Amino acid sequence: MNFDFTAEENELKRRVAGVFTGEAVSEAQLMERASLEELKRTTGDFLRKLGEIGYLSLCLGPAQASESLKLLAAQEDVARISGSLFLSVETTARLFGGLVAGFGAHDQFSDLLALLAGGRIIAAVAVSEDERPDSGPGFSTVAWEDGESFIVSGTKPFVTNAPIADYIAVAASLDGKPAIFIVKPGDHAVVVGPRLETLGYNGLAVASLELREVRVPKEMVIGPLQNPTLIEFLRRTQDLLLTAASVGLMRRTLTESKKHADSHLRGGKPIFARQEIRFKIAEMLTLTQTAQLLCYRAAWMYSVSDAEAHAVLHCAKVFSAEASERVASMGVQILAGTGYVSGNPVEQAYRESKYAALAGTTTELARMSIAEELLKRHQV
Amino acid sequence: MDFALTEEQLMFKEQVLKFARREIVGRVQDHDLRGQFDFQSWKKLGEFGILGLHFPEELGGGGADVITSVLAAEALGEAGVDGGLTLSYGAHTYLCADTIFRHGTDVQRHKYIPKLASGDWIGCMGLTEPGAGSDVASLRTRAERKGDSWVLNGTKMFITNGAIADVAVIYAKTDPSAGHAGISAFIVEKGTPGFSVSRSLHKMGVRTSPTSELVFQDCVIPVENMLGYEGNGFIMAMQTVEWDRSTLLAPFLGSISFLIQRCCRYAQERQQFGRPIAYFQAVKHKIADLKIFLEAARSLVYRIAWCKDQGRPLNHLEAAIAKLFVGDWSLDPINDAMLLHGGYGYCHEYDVERVFRDSRLAPIGGGTSDIQKVIISRLM
Repeated sequence: MNFDFTAEENELKRRVAGVFTGEAVSEAQLMERASLEELKRTTGDFLRKLGEIGYLSLCLGPAQASESLKLLAAQEDVARISGSLFLSVETTARLFGGLVAGFGAHDQFSDLLALLAGGRIIAAVAVSEDERPDSGPGFSTVAWEDGESFIVSGTKPFVTNAPIADYIAVAASLDGKPAIFIVKPGDHAVVVGPRLETLGYNGLAVASLELREVRVPKEMVIGPLQNPTLIEFLRRTQDLLLTAASVGLMRRTLTESKKHADSHLRGGKPIFARQEIRFKIAEMLTLTQTAQLLCYRAAWMYSVSDAEAHAVLHCAKVFSAEASERVASMGVQILAGTGYVSGNPVEQAYRESKYAALAGTTTELARMSIAEELLKRHQV
Repeated sequence: MDFALTEEQLMFKEQVLKFARREIVGRVQDHDLRGQFDFQSWKKLGEFGILGLHFPEELGGGGADVITSVLAAEALGEAGVDGGLTLSYGAHTYLCADTIFRHGTDVQRHKYIPKLASGDWIGCMGLTEPGAGSDVASLRTRAERKGDSWVLNGTKMFITNGAIADVAVIYAKTDPSAGHAGISAFIVEKGTPGFSVSRSLHKMGVRTSPTSELVFQDCVIPVENMLGYEGNGFIMAMQTVEWDRSTLLAPFLGSISFLIQRCCRYAQERQQFGRPIAYFQAVKHKIADLKIFLEAARSLVYRIAWCKDQGRPLNHLEAAIAKLFVGDWSLDPINDAMLLHGGYGYCHEYDVERVFRDSRLAPIGGGTSDIQKVIISRLM
């Protein structure tokens, strides 16, 4: 057992801190109000910087799960600066990169992976759909073989990074099994919808995606794959990212709330002198540290392929998502009027905090999964 | 970071679990209902080596590390040992015996530790008074030097094991004008003239652990019964905190595992509307919430133990966070575990009722949750 970061973990944190110095932090935070063009440029800039420090080539795909914990503390640091940037970067690296590196054939995507590792592409992953068919791999988006290529057709309602992506990995059903098709938004048959306005993470470009019989060459196809393996990888990766995003959000909220409590005066004293405020901040720190440790432990369990890794990750996801909502709510209460003004980091955190509970495995489904595993273990 | 437990630690936990189920659990309910200390179980704990687990072998201990001690305490809770017996064990081994071991002379160690480690003698610790709890500096029990003796006068309140203890570590003021620096610790043996138990307290939970008021009326003890040196009592009392936030919290973690087993079993056996209630989502969510709390709390408690194993001074912030989280956040899931059992959960016959009562001590004993928030906010 060791609760200290290793030298390697500290080194990665140090390198990430080097990317986010001075103006870079403001630039990342300004993404919340950026146009698509600005967003593409800023995200690209940060990806290149993160590529230079080796951040983008870690933990790509199930075979590299042992790097989960090594990466996590640094991921959390990025999430603390900007949740939107974090989700955009991780969608490119860990979701898209994880798919092509982890499930593609040997050397199939070596050029694409080199671009990705250097931060020279932005990528998206299109999986979820409005309705999940009862049979097959669970996608109504379908593909069929046509000579040396495949044709893909279907619609995906919420695709992160879609409006700014250079590549999109689309999950579809091929002969009743899941397969991944890499498409380029420049193709006229790949229709990216208008950018969606969302409650939070306003610096994230999300849109629907329609594939109108898109022709995909065979070398840009992964699979067909075993259904549970692919879906489990995507869900697990997304859940871990959302857990890290929640912890980053809590840390950001806590810092801002404490800063306000120390500087805002009432009756000649900083409001931090009042027990109502101090106790809230103590509770916020307790939830933040608890979520952080649980998140590290869940990542460690994946790193060592622990039998309980799945259940503990669900625990971490539910706990950190709900704790982040609570922390953000207390933060707004501490900042009062200031916290209610649009653009304030705590107001932003309050809006963003809801996302983790409903994205990836929803808190309801996660709880069901945790309980079902326990019921199986303690079967009568 | 690394969260792995060693093979030896895991095996020992398993042994304690089996031992406790075989030798102790059968008598728990009866003793709890009668509010009686279980001397037979105490003897068994001593024989198995639990009561002196971390002391050196030459003093009758097992030479275990702190993590192993935490796992043993957790295993007792997981087996279904009541909070009363585990509280008595915690007060005996960590608050009394360990203080003697850590601060006593060789003579004192050899005189007391073997008897305490075997369970032949029972120990207690007296710090709290009717008018002084967390505000330790306001202690009123007085120790005055008279020749080769110290004379103690005062009253101690809420003393775990007070009525059955053979030896007590008592904190008293040797210099009332010196605040914390005026507090010293003394070893007082049962039967010392002037030392008596004035009353035993009837409690909501942890009923098998006797809690008493102790009275010192011109109680004369030899000078060699001072523990450590004059004025060092406050430091000694504070050093027990690291045990309090690790080994004494661990049985609460174990009792959550116990509740998970109980809830899973009941939910599968109990039929309503033609099917086991485990089928219903609301029931599953309650089971999941127990697990989420358990996993969240576990790392906080293990962290304190690991730091102690590393020989690091106690981080009071982390200790208070662990105590606050276990105390406050355990209440809802435990309440839900009782609700899951419906009317049966309200009856003594079902263990969940006892765990519900016992767990109410977590946010109160050893410093209330409010005190933890004071500490956390002070250290931020």
